[in-house]
Amino acid sequence: MKNKSRVDILSKVDSFPSMPGAAVKMLSLLDNPDTTVTQIEGILRYEPGLTANILKLTNSAYFGLPSKVGSVKHAVVLLGWRRLVQLVMASCVSAIMNKSVPGYDLPPGGLWRHSIAVSVASEGLMKELGLPSDDEVFTAALLHDLGKLVLGSSIKDDIRAIEITASEGVPFEVAEYMVLGTDHAEVGAKILESWSFPPKIVNAVRWHHEPDSAEESDVMLDIVHVANVLCLMMGIGIGREGLRYEPSRLATKRLGLHTAHLEIVASRTMQWVNELTEVFGAK
Amino acid sequence: MRYVVGVGDMKAGQKGDIIVTHALGSCLGLMLYDPVMKIGGMLHAMLPLSKINMEKAQANPFMFVDTGVPELFKAIYNMGGLKGRLIVKAAGCGSPLGNNEMFKIGERNHTVLKKLLWKNSILLKSEDVAGSKSRTVHFNISTGQVIISSNGVETEL
Repeated sequence: MKNKSRVDILSKVDSFPSMPGAAVKMLSLLDNPDTTVTQIEGILRYEPGLTANILKLTNSAYFGLPSKVGSVKHAVVLLGWRRLVQLVMASCVSAIMNKSVPGYDLPPGGLWRHSIAVSVASEGLMKELGLPSDDEVFTAALLHDLGKLVLGSSIKDDIRAIEITASEGVPFEVAEYMVLGTDHAEVGAKILESWSFPPKIVNAVRWHHEPDSAEESDVMLDIVHVANVLCLMMGIGIGREGLRYEPSRLATKRLGLHTAHLEIVASRTMQWVNELTEVFGAK
Repeated sequence: MRYVVGVGDMKAGQKGDIIVTHALGSCLGLMLYDPVMKIGGMLHAMLPLSKINMEKAQANPFMFVDTGVPELFKAIYNMGGLKGRLIVKAAGCGSPLGNNEMFKIGERNHTVLKKLLWKNSILLKSEDVAGSKSRTVHFNISTGQVIISSNGVETEL
């Protein structure tokens, strides 16, 4: 039964929408240190809607740029091209993720709002902890629950069994695994692998509930793990499973995290979530 | 009217109004009701103490329990509510699994609320707090009835 579920669910990964072309091209630029503004402009030239979204995002208060940006070139100069690539990907996946997720009882836009919140909280934690900025955190955080889109439609019949298992004090993703033979983190990682995402991002998505199970510890993974729990506590994207996840003591120790870090980041997150949700939503 | 209270927000209403807040995780939901005036209000506060971000607390006192709770009482007094008549109920203040103290923001929200109420000689009529479930609250100002729903199960508070 369990194995049948696993096979059924993983077969859905293959039929999951593929990554939009512009994002795939952008992604291939990430590994290339010689990327030029002209190459980025070349990709975006044929994507006027996407370009408009990118500029809107670039000009949102979240990125705090001193002047208004009117062109891709200008955006690259002010934000850096790596940051711009992240924004292109965020715009591309928003169409896929801005949906309701019935199995988890998330209303339309609920998963997307949660994803944005975890991105904002992740970057906030990095800053608060004095960690060097890493643009990829934004993307990893944005995509951490991608697997819920596949599982959400599969778990309707199994949700009772999962909840009964989880009510015995087992974390929700473990209950998913016990009943289905897989969980939303593994499914999300499989989708990103099939989209040829960088291994570091795949790793952060794969282990975002169990950072201690990853082969190696990783700051980005620990940050997404903590930011996810924090956003659920704030009620952003909290679904049927409630707060039935367990924050890792080792991850918080590795990060040198204290309560004050969590609270200060929480106090700042909501404003940016509202701001970015509006920018992404206004298409 | 039907009011929806967001995170770090407060709404007060009168007979005929319904006040709702969705998805209380660690946040505190506090409901005040004056059964004679048929007025009531609801606070949805995120964090226990405003000292963590005074600037935010000035811009939005409802984000914090220590600044939001007095504001809720003030709002109800301004509408004609009387302290002696008020029925006070609380919900939320949940925590994730495990014993990581750092993540017990919900528990601290609850502690700060109890301290504030104790100092002012106010008792809670009822509460549905702690645990790891998500709660949605429906507050009917015509009757004072408070319904908590969680995973499709409704209970009266």
